[in-house]
Amino acid sequence: MNAKRVAITGIGVLASNAIGKNAFYEALFKGVSGIKPVSLFDTAALKAHLAGEISGFNPQDYLGQKGLRTLDRSTRLVCSATKLCLDDASLAVTQENCGRIGVAVGTSLGSISSISGFDREAILEGPGYVNPALFPNTVINSAASQVSIKFNIQGFNVSVSNSFCSSLDALIYAAQAIRSGRIDACLAGGVEELCLQTYLAFYKGGLLAGLKEGAPELSCPFDKRRNGVILGEGAAVLCLEELTHARKRNARIFAEVLGSGRGFDPYRLNKYYTRADGLKKAVSAALEDSGMPAGDISYISCAANSTWAADLEETRAIKEVFGAKAKMTPASSVKSMLGECFSASAALQAVSAVGAIERQTVPATVNYRESDADCDLDCVPNTARETQVKNVLVNAVSLSGCSTSLVIADFGGQKDKNAA
Amino acid sequence: MDKRVVITGVGVVSSIGIGRDVFWKALTAGKSGIRPVETFDTSGFPTHNGGEIKDFSPEDFMSRRRAQLVGRASALAIAASRLAFSDAGLKLSAGDKEKAGVILGTTMGETQVFERINYRWVKEGEQAIDPVWLPRLPANVLAANVGIEFKLKGPNLVLPNACAAGNYALGYAADLIRAGVTDVMLAGGTDAFSKIAFTGFNRLFAVAPEICQPFDKDRKGMMVGEGAAALVLESLDRAQKRGADILAEVAGYGISCDAYHMTAPHAPGIARAIRNALSESSLVPGDIDYINAHGTGTPANDREECLAMKEVFGSACRDIPVSSIKSMLGHTMGAASAIESVACCLAIKEGCIPPTINFKTPDPDCDIDCVPNSCRRLKVEFAMNNASAFGGNNASVIFKNFVL
Repeated sequence: MNAKRVAITGIGVLASNAIGKNAFYEALFKGVSGIKPVSLFDTAALKAHLAGEISGFNPQDYLGQKGLRTLDRSTRLVCSATKLCLDDASLAVTQENCGRIGVAVGTSLGSISSISGFDREAILEGPGYVNPALFPNTVINSAASQVSIKFNIQGFNVSVSNSFCSSLDALIYAAQAIRSGRIDACLAGGVEELCLQTYLAFYKGGLLAGLKEGAPELSCPFDKRRNGVILGEGAAVLCLEELTHARKRNARIFAEVLGSGRGFDPYRLNKYYTRADGLKKAVSAALEDSGMPAGDISYISCAANSTWAADLEETRAIKEVFGAKAKMTPASSVKSMLGECFSASAALQAVSAVGAIERQTVPATVNYRESDADCDLDCVPNTARETQVKNVLVNAVSLSGCSTSLVIADFGGQKDKNAA
Repeated sequence: MDKRVVITGVGVVSSIGIGRDVFWKALTAGKSGIRPVETFDTSGFPTHNGGEIKDFSPEDFMSRRRAQLVGRASALAIAASRLAFSDAGLKLSAGDKEKAGVILGTTMGETQVFERINYRWVKEGEQAIDPVWLPRLPANVLAANVGIEFKLKGPNLVLPNACAAGNYALGYAADLIRAGVTDVMLAGGTDAFSKIAFTGFNRLFAVAPEICQPFDKDRKGMMVGEGAAALVLESLDRAQKRGADILAEVAGYGISCDAYHMTAPHAPGIARAIRNALSESSLVPGDIDYINAHGTGTPANDREECLAMKEVFGSACRDIPVSSIKSMLGHTMGAASAIESVACCLAIKEGCIPPTINFKTPDPDCDIDCVPNSCRRLKVEFAMNNASAFGGNNASVIFKNFVL
């Protein structure tokens, strides 16, 4: 077998608890939460007020002043993450290589505020009065397309929509394109902007924490008090690169993308499937595709988002696939700090997985206080833990039945540095 | 050795007909699906025509309950999928269903659901948002609904790659079969008639007032349409083992991004997708017998696309028939390249090329053989389907007459 290997050579991240890779790792391992009262819109009339909002985001710091005016928040976030990622990877997009680099971005419906705002103008003012310059923002793949335009990336440009799993599926798409030789490198990840429309949708859908009398507005995965999500936002972009290509340009290799798996529970659009068949299938397939037994996984970056059923579903899947190894494997949820960042969540988890490998530390599940006998994994409560981290399993689970898993592994950075 | 991928069934729901045979008869007869728009009141708009499907009743393809539960784009996709499965004569066992998946393309997602929620929110405020509709919103519900309807437990996702999305979906589904992840996939695209798209394209002055005339010197723009198409993709082994009637083989595909402009098409990027498709299929330009063009009918698209084809095919370009079925269907957005892929497969199977209708005056910028106004009998070994999209995203798929 001479299958191509996929290295991770760069990371760009904007999260509610920090901006930039190193700051994000610091915050992550200190257990810093990005969840705060919403400032982007007024929540006074609602029963929920918190979100994982990114404060202090100045797109011009990353993208310059020019051409920002018509770009929506999603686009600004993902373009900024791409800039940070290209810098971190020391990858220069040139006339020679631009056709061999791709973009893959996970998104659930694009910029919901852009679509809604454009339509609002038409409803209130009439269709002849909308600003045509804002029409492209209503197309779901708009943010990804702007990344290509901004950074002259011509290999391909793909958006992947798979609800909470979107950005993990984007990473898998990118890795597959590299393995099949379609491209040499791909900037892959996901973005989600916090906006009133999405917040209202989660609120009206009864998905947010703190809506029921006495229930805390808190993101506390695996904790008995969990009662819904805190919505978050963020953008995370990883530079996936074919190994020989990365070596040829002496790139730093932070980790390697191994196998992946997907499952779908074809039952309900709006309900976690606690029998967890799809997630079990995704996890098993990812392990098999990576050629490793469950015991080789040193850390699980969980999809658990503090929803009663979601955390139960994931615990069950892990216990059934991992068997006796389940409780010996640290399994934490960074959503305790970031909230549920929807289409960006899994990319943020993937970045956290690389961080865990780089720093040989697993992030904590913060806000953990009351144990739940049904969620009895080692969730790394409240304090990050230094430990040997070799292979990380990243899980994503959606409300509409999709489950996706990916294994990210230590590349043996030391050995590689010596070899270089 | 990668697995070979074949197409064993197709389903189409379109403004000129529902189901493979009706669709093909209409397509080769040059029937137009363009009529006055009825989905919403167009009195505030400068144009009034579109490619709506007037005779689609979801209950013909799913239970009444399901029909009430899903948005129109999902309903169209479920209908196209049922037609495709039936065309393929495919009965999936419980074991098959564990691996069988769905990948769909779209431009707008469940746009009518969104428009409905947004209208009430804008007009009446937050309390008027009906939570029942919210889970039907994210774009991935299109594939999820098809997966739920047919109980398919394999890879399930949506590639919302705008107007080239169908080709991206088809290409990725083929990749998954080639790589051995699964051996049967449903791939396609769907979009319901969208007020937001109709508004936006009208504001860009990109919509033709009456008819869509690709490659004509007097072409005045595109026509917003709706539809869905699904194709059953199987590994060759599997298809042969069950004795399936193979419509065509997926020879290969190519994708590219212009990285140039959000809305303006750009010949060099389109040419790159075409070249990538040829190279992946190990073909030379002269091998292609028929090109199904993106051909939206806007001045810019048809000019740039012809430029790109001339760049790749050189002087031979004028000898290759190139037609745009958007002349009949309008632009069905995320469904467009999926429907056009079906047209390519059927052109190969039936030995006939659908025409570009409404063609009157040649344009020196588009001096191709656009198969004007009537279909043409021709043996097709290799058919190429080109698509371009917002954001400068291009995808070309090549279909091959299946021979052992």
